[in-house]
Amino acid sequence: MAEQPPSYGVGIGRLPSYGVGIGSRPSYGVGIGWRPEIAGFVEGLPGLRFAEVVAESVHAHGELPTGLQVLLDRGVTIIPHGVRLSLGGAEPVDPARVEHFAAVAERLRAPLISEHIAFVRAGGIEAGHLLPLPRSREAVDAVVANVRRVQAAVPVPIALEPIAALFDWPDDELTEGQFLTEILDRSGAQLLLDVANVYANARNRGTDPAELLDQLPLERIAYVHVAGGAEHQGLYHDTHTDAVPQPVLDLVGALCARHVPPALMLERDGDYPPAAALAADLDAIAKASGYPVIT
Amino acid sequence: MNDTWGISGPTFLTYFIGATIAIAIIAAVHRKALFRGDRSARVDNLGPQQVAYLNGGDRLAIYSSMGGLRAAGALGTGPGRILVRTGPLPSGVTPLDSAVYNAAGNGVRTRDLPNDQWVASAVEQLRDNLERTGLAVSAGKMREARLWVLAGLALVAIGIARVVAGIGNDKPVTFIVIATIAAFVVTLTLLRTRRWATDAAHKGLRDLRYKHNYLAPSNSPSYATYGATGAAMGVALYGGAALYSMDPAFAAEAEVQRIAATGGAAGSSGGSDGGSSSSCSSGSSCSGGSSCGGGGGCGG
Repeated sequence: MAEQPPSYGVGIGRLPSYGVGIGSRPSYGVGIGWRPEIAGFVEGLPGLRFAEVVAESVHAHGELPTGLQVLLDRGVTIIPHGVRLSLGGAEPVDPARVEHFAAVAERLRAPLISEHIAFVRAGGIEAGHLLPLPRSREAVDAVVANVRRVQAAVPVPIALEPIAALFDWPDDELTEGQFLTEILDRSGAQLLLDVANVYANARNRGTDPAELLDQLPLERIAYVHVAGGAEHQGLYHDTHTDAVPQPVLDLVGALCARHVPPALMLERDGDYPPAAALAADLDAIAKASGYPVIT
Repeated sequence: MNDTWGISGPTFLTYFIGATIAIAIIAAVHRKALFRGDRSARVDNLGPQQVAYLNGGDRLAIYSSMGGLRAAGALGTGPGRILVRTGPLPSGVTPLDSAVYNAAGNGVRTRDLPNDQWVASAVEQLRDNLERTGLAVSAGKMREARLWVLAGLALVAIGIARVVAGIGNDKPVTFIVIATIAAFVVTLTLLRTRRWATDAAHKGLRDLRYKHNYLAPSNSPSYATYGATGAAMGVALYGGAALYSMDPAFAAEAEVQRIAATGGAAGSSGGSDGGSSSSCSSGSSCSGGSSCGGGGGCGG
């Protein structure tokens, strides 16, 4: 059982003018990505205070999945996480998608929403996948313009998540750190940092993952994704279907040594293991971050 | 006095329809009393196989056991669609699990399981327990409830006799034909109703289904995460379809039927279900009833 820190409050969601973090100062500790396949496991976590749900999987009106409703009734904060807005697209974000996102956020009484810094469609063609942007000033302009459109329609803050990429575009003008900082500074958005991505990117480029941490505005982190991955033919793949490896947990520790984020969550998207293995991942994240165990 | 049997068409029709409705209502009230069960009985501490029995009888209890054994890696299928053991029997299993596991060692098929001596006695033990605690409807009460089928059949027989007599008497019979068909449908409904859970258990099962909604096949639940008990409970609450969602290849190979787990008016589709075949014998009283129509040939 996790003890309740005095600052914790679920009512934050109704105060959209609040600033940084999920809500203001409250720390949510360790959470998990809610998926229908493991809804029963998530429901059974006694210390859970926040979870994330894929925004596109929730009906804006209609009935909520039972498992989500149970969590909401328990006072668990649920963050809608978009995967299809295509903030990095050259064209403006689709108003219908933004409207859906806003409705879902309201439905869940979410204090925050999140999306990726990526594009999923261009020229009317759907990639069906999150694609990386070239780190150019032009791309920064496009992302910032789209984030502002979302901010105009959704009353709660947005956190942006950089994605993993196995390659760099040849004409990058900015470093990863500069690119992200620029987008966050100009849009006023918060950061959703995926530690496994940071690890994967650094590992596949032969750089030090902790170096990137020093270049990012860590105080802007709303929450952190932690996921598993696996190595194939010398490359580390951020699969989200494997256990969280020790180097990623070490990086969580390195992050928390610099700045303790208000919340960290396990992101598991498939090939779900026995409950004990999921619980072990959650406990490992709690241990690495110093937050109370939630299992 | 041209009226068939000396009763005018409209009068006969009124009494006939009245009798049909009366039988339907009295049978329903009788059932309500018979199936009430023990209101203080609880289902939340039942095991998956007991829940399965309440939802779908012997067959679902066996499927639930198969689901648990499959998730534990103890059960699989071999050539000729027979069940085989694929691992050791997990510890802490129920007598039904042991019986199914034992039968799997003898190369039986899923549909033969209810006839296996061990399995049958394990199911019987399970059933007795549930009947004693007022959660399951006993075979005796089910038979009692079905007595109204006889009344229905008698009515149908009278209707047929009246139609025959009416035709002989050169009277229009359209309405009485329709009324007889209606009486037949009511009788069939009384006959086909098969339920295992008492009303007291029904409410608890509904709550249980809500509580375990995450096991519904529509969530494509991860049975690896929920383990053997989760798999068994999924089958118990959501029927054979849950086995298909958890392990489609195994479910198909084992010829598991997608029986619904409603516990409601699910028609028992023959097979090894002794209950429905015995009620079939009450259908033979139909021939007795038709002889009554022969006696009523006075209208001709």
